[in-house]
Amino acid sequence: MVGAAVQGLPMTGRQREDAEQPAERAQTGEEELSRRALGGDRRAWDALIARHQRRVVVSLLARGIRVDRAHELAQEAWARLIQQQQRGLLTELRLPNLALTQAAFLAADDARRARREAIAGNVEELLERQHPVDPSVSAERRLLSEEQLARANAALAGCSPSARNVFLLACDGQELPHAEVAARVGLSVQRVRQILCEVRKRLRTALEEESHV
Amino acid sequence: MFDPHLTPSDAEQYILGALDSELERKLEAHTLVCDACARLLQQEALLEEQLREVASATPREATVIRPARWRVGRAAALVVGPAMAAAAAALTLMVSRPGPVVPGTVQESRVVLSLDLPVELPSMVVACPDLTTQESCAQSAAARGLLVQYPLGMGEVPRYEGSAGLPSGALSSQPAPL
Ligand SMILES: [Zn+2]
Repeated sequence: MVGAAVQGLPMTGRQREDAEQPAERAQTGEEELSRRALGGDRRAWDALIARHQRRVVVSLLARGIRVDRAHELAQEAWARLIQQQQRGLLTELRLPNLALTQAAFLAADDARRARREAIAGNVEELLERQHPVDPSVSAERRLLSEEQLARANAALAGCSPSARNVFLLACDGQELPHAEVAARVGLSVQRVRQILCEVRKRLRTALEEESHV
Repeated sequence: MFDPHLTPSDAEQYILGALDSELERKLEAHTLVCDACARLLQQEALLEEQLREVASATPREATVIRPARWRVGRAAALVVGPAMAAAAAALTLMVSRPGPVVPGTVQESRVVLSLDLPVELPSMVVACPDLTTQESCAQSAAARGLLVQYPLGMGEVPRYEGSAGLPSGALSSQPAPL
């Protein structure tokens, strides 16, 4: 459902027609959409939401929030951004960061409400979906340690330049669709995802080392 | 499908957006009734978040040509403030929260930026919404030169700080050592 929208909406038909300048196209596409969204264009909002929704949901899942609640909070985050735009409170739209921050905000609010309920002994009254997957994981996500980052960078340096390039394109925070990454590097979407899985495997190992020490 | 459980690869494919919508729906439904698989999905999501952090801390000018966005760091740092202040205002309007008063919250919107900013600030905003870990979270983020957002405060506007304390090498135009 959401995933299909994310995959289908933004860039699909485009990769063939302008393979020579996909980077600038993607850039323009995003900026144009942001500009229209700031002007209140609901379809532009929908396109931006489709493009960034997965990232917002994943960021909530990482905080131990159940998937149904994660979708609800993500929707709420977008609703608030649109509301702010309608009130003229948004001067610039920097996505996905703005949506991620808004969602983190809502998640923290959920967590605080849960704590208050727990203290008041009303745990049963909490909606089940508000219970975190793992109660030991707070809504706060800890940043990586310097050692973890150093190990990850070393692991990344051990990847081939093209694999590193794919990883950086896909994960640099702009949420470039995989089809767009593929168009830029001249590979198939499937190959891009294979590469991402390989890089993820290396980095996962690098990041996890610490826990064995 | 996902019977009995998710494999790590299933979870990874979900995170990467590689599943079709039907499979995605089934996977989500399964994690709602299976704690083990919900945790597996969380771990994959957490790794994905960590990878963004790794990517944001990696020097890349040498390998990735990305003109427009990388110049907007400074503007972004200045603009996020009012926007999120608005977010906070909206929150306080819509959510009543009789919580404890937060010591040390500021009374006005404030963007603290040193004058000798590097040309490129990281565009990554780190939220430190949890009071119990806020201080260490903020310190850690500031040490890495990330933009820190403090969303808490009882009706006060959140505080933003931009730090120029980029890790050495973050702005280097050299390729990463092989
Ligand atoms: Zn299961």
